[in-house]
Amino acid sequence: MSTDRTAVIAGLGLTEFGRIYGRTPADFAIDAIGRAAEDAGLGLPDIDGLLVNPGVGNDIDLRLQSALQMRDTRVLATIQGFGSSAGQMVQYASMAIESGMADVVACVYADAPLKEGKSAGASYAGQKRAMQGVGALPAAAGLKAAPERYAVAARRHMNAFGTTSEQFGAVAVAARQWAAMNPRAQKREPITLADHQESRMIADPLRLLDCCLVSNGAVAVILTTAARAAELRRPPVHVWGWGQAHPGYANRRGSEFGLVTGAARSGADALKMAGIGVGDIDVREIYDCFTYTTLVTLEDYGFCAKGEGGEFVASGAIAPGGSHPTNTGGGELSSYYMWGMTPLSEAIIQARGDGGERQVPKHDLIMVSGNGGVLDFHSTLILSPHPKSA
Amino acid sequence: MTLIPLVRDEFSAPFFDGAAAGRLMLRYSPSSGEWSEPAALVCSVTQARDLEWRPAAGVGELVSWTVKPGRRGEDGRTAPDQVIGIVETAEGPWLTLRLVDAAAPGLRAGMAVRVDFVRPEGGEAMPVGRVSA
Repeated sequence: MSTDRTAVIAGLGLTEFGRIYGRTPADFAIDAIGRAAEDAGLGLPDIDGLLVNPGVGNDIDLRLQSALQMRDTRVLATIQGFGSSAGQMVQYASMAIESGMADVVACVYADAPLKEGKSAGASYAGQKRAMQGVGALPAAAGLKAAPERYAVAARRHMNAFGTTSEQFGAVAVAARQWAAMNPRAQKREPITLADHQESRMIADPLRLLDCCLVSNGAVAVILTTAARAAELRRPPVHVWGWGQAHPGYANRRGSEFGLVTGAARSGADALKMAGIGVGDIDVREIYDCFTYTTLVTLEDYGFCAKGEGGEFVASGAIAPGGSHPTNTGGGELSSYYMWGMTPLSEAIIQARGDGGERQVPKHDLIMVSGNGGVLDFHSTLILSPHPKSA
Repeated sequence: MTLIPLVRDEFSAPFFDGAAAGRLMLRYSPSSGEWSEPAALVCSVTQARDLEWRPAAGVGELVSWTVKPGRRGEDGRTAPDQVIGIVETAEGPWLTLRLVDAAAPGLRAGMAVRVDFVRPEGGEAMPVGRVSA
Protein backbone atom coordinates (compact mmCIF):
# COMPACT_ATOMS: atom_id res chain seq x y z
CA MET A 1 0.00 0.00 0.00
CA SER A 2 1.29 3.44 -0.96
CA THR A 3 2.45 5.75 1.80
CA ASP A 4 2.83 8.79 -0.44
CA ARG A 5 1.90 11.83 1.65
CA THR A 6 2.20 14.27 -1.25
CA ALA A 7 -0.86 16.50 -1.00
CA VAL A 8 -3.43 16.42 -3.79
CA ILE A 9 -6.84 17.95 -4.38
CA ALA A 10 -9.43 15.20 -4.05
CA GLY A 11 -12.76 17.01 -3.72
CA LEU A 12 -14.54 20.09 -5.04
CA GLY A 13 -17.86 21.38 -3.76
CA LEU A 14 -19.79 24.26 -5.31
CA THR A 15 -23.16 25.57 -4.20
CA GLU A 16 -25.52 27.48 -6.45
CA PHE A 17 -24.30 31.03 -7.03
CA GLY A 18 -25.88 34.43 -7.40
CA ARG A 19 -29.06 35.86 -5.94
CA ILE A 20 -29.69 32.95 -3.61
CA TYR A 21 -31.50 34.50 -0.64
CA GLY A 22 -32.36 33.30 2.83
CA ARG A 23 -29.13 31.41 3.47
CA THR A 24 -26.24 32.46 5.70
CA PRO A 25 -22.57 32.19 4.75
CA ALA A 26 -22.20 29.39 7.33
CA ASP A 27 -25.07 27.52 5.71
CA PHE A 28 -23.45 27.92 2.30
CA ALA A 29 -20.06 26.84 3.71
CA ILE A 30 -21.42 23.64 5.25
CA ASP A 31 -23.23 22.86 2.02
CA ALA A 32 -20.03 23.33 -0.03
CA ILE A 33 -17.93 21.19 2.34
CA GLY A 34 -20.56 18.46 2.23
CA ARG A 35 -20.58 18.55 -1.54
CA ALA A 36 -16.76 18.47 -1.70
CA ALA A 37 -16.66 15.45 0.61
CA GLU A 38 -19.29 13.68 -1.46
CA ASP A 39 -17.39 14.55 -4.64
CA ALA A 40 -14.26 12.97 -3.18
CA GLY A 41 -16.08 9.93 -1.84
CA LEU A 42 -15.38 10.90 1.76
CA GLY A 43 -17.62 11.46 4.73
CA LEU A 44 -17.56 14.53 6.93
CA PRO A 45 -16.02 12.47 9.78
CA ASP A 46 -12.97 11.86 7.56
CA ILE A 47 -12.08 15.57 7.63
CA ASP A 48 -9.50 16.32 10.32
CA GLY A 49 -8.41 19.76 9.14
CA LEU A 50 -10.39 22.89 8.34
CA LEU A 51 -9.20 26.18 6.87
CA VAL A 52 -11.79 28.93 6.71
CA ASN A 53 -11.59 32.04 4.54
CA PRO A 54 -14.07 34.42 6.13
CA GLY A 55 -14.61 36.88 3.27
CA VAL A 56 -14.92 40.65 3.69
CA GLY A 57 -17.73 40.43 6.21
CA ASN A 58 -15.97 37.92 8.48
CA ASP A 59 -19.22 36.00 8.51
CA ILE A 60 -17.71 32.54 8.91
CA ASP A 61 -14.94 31.62 11.29
CA LEU A 62 -13.57 28.88 13.53
CA ARG A 63 -17.07 28.21 14.85
CA LEU A 64 -17.66 26.39 11.58
CA GLN A 65 -15.93 23.43 13.27
CA SER A 66 -18.69 23.25 15.86
CA ALA A 67 -21.36 23.81 13.27
CA LEU A 68 -20.00 20.82 11.38
CA GLN A 69 -19.87 18.76 14.62
CA MET A 70 -16.18 18.09 13.97
CA ARG A 71 -14.30 16.43 16.86
CA ASP A 72 -10.60 16.51 17.69
CA THR A 73 -9.73 18.62 14.66
CA ARG A 74 -5.98 18.55 14.07
CA VAL A 75 -5.64 21.68 11.93
CA LEU A 76 -8.02 24.62 12.32
CA ALA A 77 -7.49 28.24 11.28
CA THR A 78 -9.00 31.18 9.50
CA ILE A 79 -6.93 32.36 6.57
CA GLN A 80 -7.40 35.97 5.52
CA GLY A 81 -5.44 36.97 2.46
CA PHE A 82 -8.54 38.43 0.82
CA GLY A 83 -8.53 37.38 -2.84
CA SER A 84 -5.28 35.47 -2.41
CA SER A 85 -6.79 33.28 0.32
CA ALA A 86 -7.86 30.30 -1.79
CA GLY A 87 -4.35 29.77 -3.10
CA GLN A 88 -2.92 30.29 0.37
CA MET A 89 -5.30 27.73 1.86
CA VAL A 90 -4.24 25.09 -0.67
CA GLN A 91 -0.61 25.84 0.16
CA TYR A 92 -1.07 25.61 3.95
CA ALA A 93 -3.29 22.53 3.64
CA SER A 94 -0.64 20.86 1.48
CA MET A 95 2.07 21.58 4.04
CA ALA A 96 -0.14 20.33 6.89
CA ILE A 97 -0.84 17.08 5.04
CA GLU A 98 2.75 16.50 3.96
CA SER A 99 4.04 17.13 7.49
CA GLY A 100 1.56 14.67 8.97
CA MET A 101 -0.43 17.23 10.93
CA ALA A 102 -3.65 16.19 9.22
CA ASP A 103 -4.82 13.71 6.60
CA VAL A 104 -7.89 15.33 5.07
CA VAL A 105 -8.14 19.14 5.04
CA ALA A 106 -11.17 21.10 3.85
CA CYS A 107 -10.69 24.68 2.63
CA VAL A 108 -13.79 26.81 2.31
CA TYR A 109 -14.91 30.28 1.24
CA ALA A 110 -18.47 31.50 1.63
CA ASP A 111 -20.18 34.83 1.24
CA ALA A 112 -23.71 36.18 1.05
CA PRO A 113 -23.47 39.93 0.46
CA LEU A 114 -26.50 40.11 -1.84
CA LYS A 115 -29.67 41.04 -0.03
CA GLU A 116 -33.15 41.00 -1.51
CA GLY A 117 -34.11 44.44 -2.80
CA LYS A 118 -30.54 45.76 -2.59
CA SER A 119 -28.36 46.44 -5.64
CA ALA A 120 -25.21 44.42 -6.25
CA GLY A 121 -23.18 47.62 -6.23
CA ALA A 122 -24.33 48.42 -2.72
CA SER A 123 -23.33 45.01 -1.38
CA TYR A 124 -19.81 45.92 -0.35
CA ALA A 125 -20.35 49.66 0.09
CA GLY A 126 -19.48 51.16 3.44
CA GLN A 127 -21.43 53.73 5.38
CA LYS A 128 -21.02 57.45 4.77
CA ARG A 129 -20.10 58.62 8.22
CA ALA A 130 -17.24 60.49 9.85
CA MET A 131 -13.91 58.68 9.73
CA GLN A 132 -11.02 58.99 12.11
CA GLY A 133 -7.36 59.83 11.61
CA VAL A 134 -5.00 60.33 8.70
CA GLY A 135 -5.26 56.70 7.63
CA ALA A 136 -8.75 57.50 6.40
CA LEU A 137 -7.62 60.38 4.15
CA PRO A 138 -7.89 58.37 0.88
CA ALA A 139 -11.39 57.16 1.72
CA ALA A 140 -12.46 60.63 2.80
CA ALA A 141 -11.24 61.99 -0.52
CA GLY A 142 -13.44 59.43 -2.28
CA LEU A 143 -11.09 56.51 -2.89
CA LYS A 144 -13.06 54.03 -0.86
CA ALA A 145 -14.60 51.11 -2.71
CA ALA A 146 -12.77 48.60 -4.88
CA PRO A 147 -13.77 50.03 -8.30
CA GLU A 148 -12.26 53.47 -7.71
CA ARG A 149 -9.20 52.03 -6.02
CA TYR A 150 -8.54 49.70 -8.96
CA ALA A 151 -9.39 52.53 -11.36
CA VAL A 152 -6.34 54.55 -10.33
CA ALA A 153 -4.18 51.45 -10.84
CA ALA A 154 -5.70 50.86 -14.28
CA ARG A 155 -5.29 54.53 -15.21
CA ARG A 156 -1.62 54.39 -14.27
CA HIS A 157 -1.14 51.36 -16.52
CA MET A 158 -2.87 53.25 -19.34
CA ASN A 159 -0.66 56.29 -18.76
CA ALA A 160 2.53 54.24 -18.73
CA PHE A 161 1.87 51.79 -21.55
CA GLY A 162 -0.89 53.23 -23.67
CA THR A 163 -3.36 50.54 -22.60
CA THR A 164 -6.90 51.38 -23.74
CA SER A 165 -10.44 50.91 -22.51
CA GLU A 166 -11.14 48.85 -25.63
CA GLN A 167 -8.38 46.45 -24.59
CA PHE A 168 -9.99 46.09 -21.17
CA GLY A 169 -13.20 45.43 -23.09
CA ALA A 170 -11.55 42.56 -24.95
CA VAL A 171 -11.03 40.85 -21.59
CA ALA A 172 -14.72 41.26 -20.73
CA VAL A 173 -15.87 39.93 -24.11
CA ALA A 174 -13.56 36.90 -23.90
CA ALA A 175 -14.74 36.09 -20.38
CA ARG A 176 -18.35 36.21 -21.52
CA GLN A 177 -17.58 33.92 -24.47
CA TRP A 178 -16.24 31.35 -22.04
CA ALA A 179 -19.14 31.87 -19.64
CA ALA A 180 -21.62 31.14 -22.41
CA MET A 181 -20.36 27.55 -22.24
CA ASN A 182 -20.52 27.32 -18.42
CA PRO A 183 -23.91 26.22 -17.04
CA ARG A 184 -22.96 27.63 -13.61
CA ALA A 185 -22.20 31.12 -14.93
CA GLN A 186 -24.42 33.95 -13.72
CA LYS A 187 -23.98 35.90 -16.97
CA ARG A 188 -24.12 33.90 -20.20
CA GLU A 189 -25.68 36.21 -22.77
CA PRO A 190 -23.10 37.36 -25.36
CA ILE A 191 -21.62 40.85 -25.17
CA THR A 192 -19.69 42.85 -27.75
CA LEU A 193 -16.96 45.41 -27.46
CA ALA A 194 -19.60 48.04 -28.24
CA ASP A 195 -21.66 46.80 -25.27
CA HIS A 196 -18.58 47.24 -23.11
CA GLN A 197 -17.96 50.76 -24.37
CA GLU A 198 -21.58 51.71 -23.82
CA SER A 199 -21.84 50.25 -20.33
CA ARG A 200 -22.09 52.90 -17.66
CA MET A 201 -18.97 54.34 -16.10
CA ILE A 202 -18.41 53.11 -12.55
CA ALA A 203 -15.07 54.76 -11.82
CA ASP A 204 -13.25 56.05 -14.87
CA PRO A 205 -11.66 54.23 -16.68
CA LEU A 206 -13.59 51.20 -15.37
CA ARG A 207 -17.06 50.63 -16.77
CA LEU A 208 -19.75 48.29 -15.52
CA LEU A 209 -18.53 45.49 -17.80
CA ASP A 210 -15.00 45.90 -16.45
CA CYS A 211 -16.24 44.89 -12.99
CA CYS A 212 -16.76 41.45 -11.48
CA LEU A 213 -20.10 40.11 -10.36
CA VAL A 214 -21.35 39.85 -6.80
CA SER A 215 -22.48 36.39 -5.71
CA ASN A 216 -23.93 34.56 -2.77
CA GLY A 217 -22.62 31.04 -2.39
CA ALA A 218 -19.64 28.95 -1.32
CA VAL A 219 -16.85 26.79 -2.68
CA ALA A 220 -14.92 24.13 -0.79
CA VAL A 221 -11.87 22.13 -1.78
CA ILE A 222 -10.64 19.00 0.00
CA LEU A 223 -7.00 17.93 -0.01
CA THR A 224 -5.58 14.65 1.19
CA THR A 225 -2.54 12.47 0.62
CA ALA A 226 -1.81 10.99 -2.80
CA ALA A 227 -1.98 7.55 -1.17
CA ARG A 228 -5.48 8.13 0.16
CA ALA A 229 -6.66 9.87 -2.99
CA ALA A 230 -5.78 6.79 -5.01
CA GLU A 231 -8.64 5.00 -3.25
CA LEU A 232 -11.18 7.82 -3.70
CA ARG A 233 -13.91 8.58 -6.20
CA ARG A 234 -12.30 11.21 -8.42
CA PRO A 235 -8.86 11.38 -10.01
CA PRO A 236 -6.58 13.62 -7.97
CA VAL A 237 -5.44 17.06 -9.05
CA HIS A 238 -1.77 17.47 -8.27
CA VAL A 239 -0.22 20.64 -6.88
CA TRP A 240 3.06 21.14 -8.72
CA GLY A 241 4.04 24.53 -7.46
CA TRP A 242 3.03 27.55 -5.49
CA GLY A 243 4.10 31.00 -4.46
CA GLN A 244 3.00 34.08 -2.61
CA ALA A 245 4.07 37.68 -3.01
CA HIS A 246 2.70 40.66 -1.16
CA PRO A 247 4.36 43.74 -2.64
CA GLY A 248 3.83 46.13 0.26
CA TYR A 249 3.72 49.06 -2.15
CA ALA A 250 5.44 52.07 -0.65
CA ASN A 251 3.04 54.97 -0.98
CA ARG A 252 5.72 57.17 -2.43
CA ARG A 253 7.98 58.02 -5.37
CA GLY A 254 9.18 54.95 -7.23
CA SER A 255 6.17 52.80 -6.35
CA GLU A 256 5.23 50.21 -8.96
CA PHE A 257 1.55 50.34 -7.92
CA GLY A 258 -0.60 49.75 -10.98
CA LEU A 259 2.37 48.77 -13.11
CA VAL A 260 3.75 45.55 -11.58
CA THR A 261 1.88 43.22 -9.22
CA GLY A 262 2.75 40.41 -6.85
CA ALA A 263 2.09 38.01 -9.71
CA ALA A 264 5.59 38.71 -11.00
CA ARG A 265 7.26 37.25 -7.92
CA SER A 266 4.74 34.61 -6.88
CA GLY A 267 4.39 33.34 -10.45
CA ALA A 268 8.13 32.95 -10.84
CA ASP A 269 8.36 31.13 -7.51
CA ALA A 270 5.53 28.76 -8.46
CA LEU A 271 7.07 27.97 -11.84
CA LYS A 272 10.44 27.33 -10.22
CA MET A 273 8.89 24.98 -7.67
CA ALA A 274 7.04 23.15 -10.46
CA GLY A 275 10.24 22.91 -12.49
CA ILE A 276 8.63 24.33 -15.61
CA GLY A 277 8.62 27.51 -17.67
CA VAL A 278 5.71 29.81 -18.35
CA GLY A 279 5.58 28.49 -21.90
CA ASP A 280 4.61 25.08 -20.53
CA ILE A 281 1.33 26.36 -19.11
CA ASP A 282 -1.75 25.24 -21.04
CA VAL A 283 -4.56 27.01 -19.18
CA ARG A 284 -4.66 30.21 -17.11
CA GLU A 285 -7.23 30.85 -14.39
CA ILE A 286 -6.62 34.45 -13.38
CA TYR A 287 -8.22 36.39 -10.54
CA ASP A 288 -10.30 38.92 -12.46
CA CYS A 289 -12.00 41.28 -10.07
CA PHE A 290 -11.63 43.77 -12.92
CA THR A 291 -10.63 43.39 -16.56
CA TYR A 292 -7.44 45.30 -15.84
CA THR A 293 -6.46 42.71 -13.24
CA THR A 294 -6.47 39.94 -15.84
CA LEU A 295 -4.37 42.01 -18.20
CA VAL A 296 -1.70 43.05 -15.72
CA THR A 297 -1.49 39.56 -14.18
CA LEU A 298 -0.88 37.98 -17.59
CA GLU A 299 1.96 40.45 -18.11
CA ASP A 300 3.49 39.78 -14.72
CA TYR A 301 3.32 36.01 -15.15
CA GLY A 302 5.24 36.49 -18.39
CA PHE A 303 2.66 35.40 -20.95
CA CYS A 304 3.49 38.62 -22.79
CA ALA A 305 6.00 41.40 -22.28
CA LYS A 306 5.40 44.10 -19.65
CA GLY A 307 3.25 46.81 -21.13
CA GLU A 308 2.00 44.63 -23.98
CA GLY A 309 -0.93 43.11 -22.11
CA GLY A 310 -3.40 45.31 -23.95
CA GLU A 311 -2.34 44.12 -27.38
CA PHE A 312 -2.12 40.55 -26.10
CA VAL A 313 -5.70 40.36 -24.83
CA ALA A 314 -7.06 42.28 -27.84
CA SER A 315 -5.46 39.73 -30.19
CA GLY A 316 -7.97 37.09 -29.15
CA ALA A 317 -5.29 35.02 -27.42
CA ILE A 318 -7.30 34.53 -24.23
CA ALA A 319 -10.72 33.88 -25.82
CA PRO A 320 -12.12 30.49 -26.83
CA GLY A 321 -10.04 29.21 -29.74
CA GLY A 322 -7.16 31.51 -28.84
CA SER A 323 -3.55 30.55 -28.22
CA HIS A 324 -3.73 31.17 -24.44
CA PRO A 325 -7.07 29.96 -23.03
CA THR A 326 -7.75 32.06 -19.94
CA ASN A 327 -10.56 32.12 -17.39
CA THR A 328 -12.30 29.28 -19.14
CA GLY A 329 -15.38 29.35 -16.95
CA GLY A 330 -16.02 33.05 -17.46
CA GLY A 331 -14.09 34.16 -14.38
CA GLU A 332 -15.36 36.53 -11.75
CA LEU A 333 -16.44 38.88 -14.54
CA SER A 334 -19.10 36.54 -15.89
CA SER A 335 -19.42 33.28 -13.92
CA TYR A 336 -19.42 33.79 -10.15
CA TYR A 337 -17.49 35.87 -7.61
CA MET A 338 -16.11 33.59 -4.94
CA TRP A 339 -12.80 35.40 -4.45
CA GLY A 340 -9.87 33.09 -5.29
CA MET A 341 -12.15 30.08 -5.29
CA THR A 342 -13.45 31.18 -8.70
CA PRO A 343 -10.17 30.60 -10.55
CA LEU A 344 -9.27 27.63 -8.33
CA SER A 345 -12.56 25.80 -8.89
CA GLU A 346 -12.37 26.26 -12.66
CA ALA A 347 -8.77 25.04 -12.64
CA ILE A 348 -9.86 21.84 -10.88
CA ILE A 349 -12.72 21.39 -13.35
CA GLN A 350 -10.32 21.82 -16.27
CA ALA A 351 -7.65 19.56 -14.75
CA ARG A 352 -10.23 16.80 -14.36
CA GLY A 353 -11.46 17.25 -17.90
CA ASP A 354 -14.93 18.13 -16.60
CA GLY A 355 -15.27 21.37 -18.57
CA GLY A 356 -17.79 20.00 -21.07
CA GLU A 357 -18.25 22.34 -24.00
CA ARG A 358 -15.58 24.69 -22.68
CA GLN A 359 -12.99 22.01 -21.84
CA VAL A 360 -9.53 22.95 -23.09
CA PRO A 361 -8.19 19.86 -24.87
CA LYS A 362 -4.63 20.25 -23.61
CA HIS A 363 -4.85 20.87 -19.89
CA ASP A 364 -1.72 19.28 -18.47
CA LEU A 365 -0.56 22.38 -16.58
CA ILE A 366 -2.85 25.07 -15.21
CA MET A 367 -1.76 28.33 -13.57
CA VAL A 368 -4.07 29.82 -10.96
CA SER A 369 -3.79 33.29 -9.50
CA GLY A 370 -5.28 34.91 -6.43
CA ASN A 371 -5.19 38.64 -5.86
CA GLY A 372 -6.31 40.48 -2.77
CA GLY A 373 -6.67 44.00 -1.48
CA VAL A 374 -5.81 46.42 -4.26
CA LEU A 375 -3.03 44.32 -5.79
CA ASP A 376 -1.60 44.02 -2.26
CA PHE A 377 -1.69 40.24 -1.82
CA HIS A 378 -0.93 37.56 -4.36
CA SER A 379 -0.88 33.77 -4.48
CA THR A 380 -0.15 31.38 -7.34
CA LEU A 381 -0.79 27.67 -7.80
CA ILE A 382 0.24 25.36 -10.61
CA LEU A 383 -2.07 22.37 -10.89
CA SER A 384 -1.99 19.27 -13.08
CA PRO A 385 -3.91 16.04 -13.57
CA HIS A 386 -0.52 14.31 -13.57
CA PRO A 387 1.79 13.67 -10.63
CA LYS A 388 4.82 15.93 -10.66
CA SER A 389 7.27 13.05 -10.76
CA ALA A 390 5.66 11.41 -13.80
CA MET B 1 -18.09 68.68 -2.39
CA THR B 2 -19.18 65.32 -0.85
CA LEU B 3 -15.94 64.88 1.05
CA ILE B 4 -16.43 62.56 4.00
CA PRO B 5 -15.65 64.40 7.24
CA LEU B 6 -12.59 63.28 9.15
CA VAL B 7 -12.11 63.56 12.90
CA ARG B 8 -8.74 63.59 14.61
CA ASP B 9 -7.16 61.04 16.89
CA GLU B 10 -4.12 61.62 19.07
CA PHE B 11 -1.66 60.51 16.39
CA SER B 12 -3.11 62.74 13.68
CA ALA B 13 -3.55 65.91 15.78
CA PRO B 14 -0.43 67.65 14.36
CA PHE B 15 -1.56 66.89 10.81
CA PHE B 16 -4.98 68.43 11.34
CA ASP B 17 -3.54 71.38 13.28
CA GLY B 18 -1.33 72.01 10.26
CA ALA B 19 -4.23 71.62 7.85
CA ALA B 20 -6.27 74.14 9.83
CA ALA B 21 -3.39 76.60 9.43
CA GLY B 22 -2.99 75.86 5.71
CA ARG B 23 0.15 73.72 6.07
CA LEU B 24 0.64 70.20 4.72
CA MET B 25 2.32 68.06 7.34
CA LEU B 26 4.17 64.88 6.38
CA ARG B 27 6.26 62.40 8.35
CA TYR B 28 10.03 62.89 8.27
CA SER B 29 12.85 60.62 9.39
CA PRO B 30 15.89 62.61 10.66
CA SER B 31 18.10 59.52 10.47
CA SER B 32 17.42 58.87 6.78
CA GLY B 33 16.40 62.30 5.56
CA GLU B 34 13.40 60.63 3.86
CA TRP B 35 9.76 61.67 3.97
CA SER B 36 6.78 59.38 4.39
CA GLU B 37 3.01 59.65 4.01
CA PRO B 38 0.93 61.06 6.89
CA ALA B 39 -0.23 57.64 8.10
CA ALA B 40 3.29 56.15 8.19
CA LEU B 41 4.45 54.63 11.48
CA VAL B 42 7.97 53.84 10.27
CA CYS B 43 10.07 55.37 7.50
CA SER B 44 8.82 54.20 4.09
CA VAL B 45 12.42 53.88 2.82
CA THR B 46 14.54 52.64 5.75
CA GLN B 47 11.89 51.45 8.25
CA ALA B 48 13.49 53.77 10.83
CA ARG B 49 11.24 54.44 13.81
CA ASP B 50 12.16 58.07 14.31
CA LEU B 51 9.41 59.73 12.29
CA GLU B 52 8.30 63.22 13.24
CA TRP B 53 5.83 65.67 11.75
CA ARG B 54 7.29 68.37 9.54
CA PRO B 55 5.70 70.89 7.18
CA ALA B 56 6.03 70.07 3.49
CA ALA B 57 6.04 72.36 0.47
CA GLY B 58 2.47 71.48 -0.43
CA VAL B 59 3.16 70.95 -4.11
CA GLY B 60 3.48 67.87 -6.27
CA GLU B 61 2.51 66.23 -9.52
CA LEU B 62 -0.29 63.99 -10.67
CA VAL B 63 0.48 60.26 -10.85
CA SER B 64 -2.95 58.81 -11.57
CA TRP B 65 -6.65 59.60 -11.09
CA THR B 66 -10.19 58.38 -11.39
CA VAL B 67 -13.54 60.06 -11.90
CA LYS B 68 -16.63 58.80 -10.10
CA PRO B 69 -19.72 59.96 -11.98
CA GLY B 70 -22.19 61.85 -9.85
CA ARG B 71 -25.26 59.81 -8.95
CA ARG B 72 -28.81 61.01 -8.64
CA GLY B 73 -29.67 61.56 -4.98
CA GLU B 74 -32.91 61.01 -3.13
CA ASP B 75 -33.75 64.66 -3.78
CA GLY B 76 -33.66 63.96 -7.52
CA ARG B 77 -30.56 66.06 -8.09
CA THR B 78 -27.44 64.62 -9.68
CA ALA B 79 -24.31 65.11 -7.64
CA PRO B 80 -21.20 66.49 -9.37
CA ASP B 81 -18.55 64.07 -10.57
CA GLN B 82 -15.79 63.31 -8.10
CA VAL B 83 -12.24 63.62 -9.47
CA ILE B 84 -9.74 61.88 -7.20
CA GLY B 85 -6.01 61.90 -7.81
CA ILE B 86 -2.86 60.22 -6.57
CA VAL B 87 -0.38 63.05 -6.14
CA GLU B 88 3.36 62.65 -5.65
CA THR B 89 4.49 65.43 -3.36
CA ALA B 90 7.77 67.21 -4.00
CA GLU B 91 9.16 65.42 -0.94
CA GLY B 92 8.26 61.98 -2.37
CA PRO B 93 5.22 60.62 -0.48
CA TRP B 94 1.98 60.08 -2.35
CA LEU B 95 -1.30 61.61 -1.24
CA THR B 96 -4.80 60.72 -2.34
CA LEU B 97 -6.57 64.02 -2.88
CA ARG B 98 -9.91 65.18 -4.16
CA LEU B 99 -9.03 67.32 -7.16
CA VAL B 100 -11.21 70.38 -7.06
CA ASP B 101 -12.00 72.44 -10.14
CA ALA B 102 -10.55 69.64 -12.29
CA ALA B 103 -12.10 68.10 -15.40
CA ALA B 104 -11.13 64.59 -16.39
CA PRO B 105 -10.46 65.19 -20.11
CA GLY B 106 -7.68 67.64 -19.36
CA LEU B 107 -5.82 65.54 -16.84
CA ARG B 108 -2.37 64.22 -17.67
CA ALA B 109 0.23 62.36 -15.61
CA GLY B 110 2.89 64.77 -14.42
CA MET B 111 0.60 67.82 -14.17
CA ALA B 112 1.48 70.16 -11.33
CA VAL B 113 -0.78 70.00 -8.30
CA ARG B 114 -0.96 72.45 -5.41
CA VAL B 115 -2.33 71.31 -2.07
CA ASP B 116 -5.15 73.42 -0.70
CA PHE B 117 -7.39 72.84 2.31
CA VAL B 118 -11.12 72.67 2.87
CA ARG B 119 -13.16 71.95 5.97
CA PRO B 120 -16.15 69.63 5.43
CA GLU B 121 -19.03 70.18 7.82
CA GLY B 122 -18.55 68.11 10.95
CA GLY B 123 -14.89 67.34 10.32
CA GLU B 124 -11.33 68.64 10.44
CA ALA B 125 -9.70 70.69 7.70
CA MET B 126 -8.33 68.32 5.09
CA PRO B 127 -6.15 68.62 2.00
CA VAL B 128 -7.46 68.77 -1.56
CA GLY B 129 -5.56 69.25 -4.82
CA ARG B 130 -5.72 72.06 -7.35
CA VAL B 131 -4.33 71.14 -10.76
CA SER B 132 -2.49 73.61 -12.94
CA ALA B 133 -1.71 72.97 -16.59
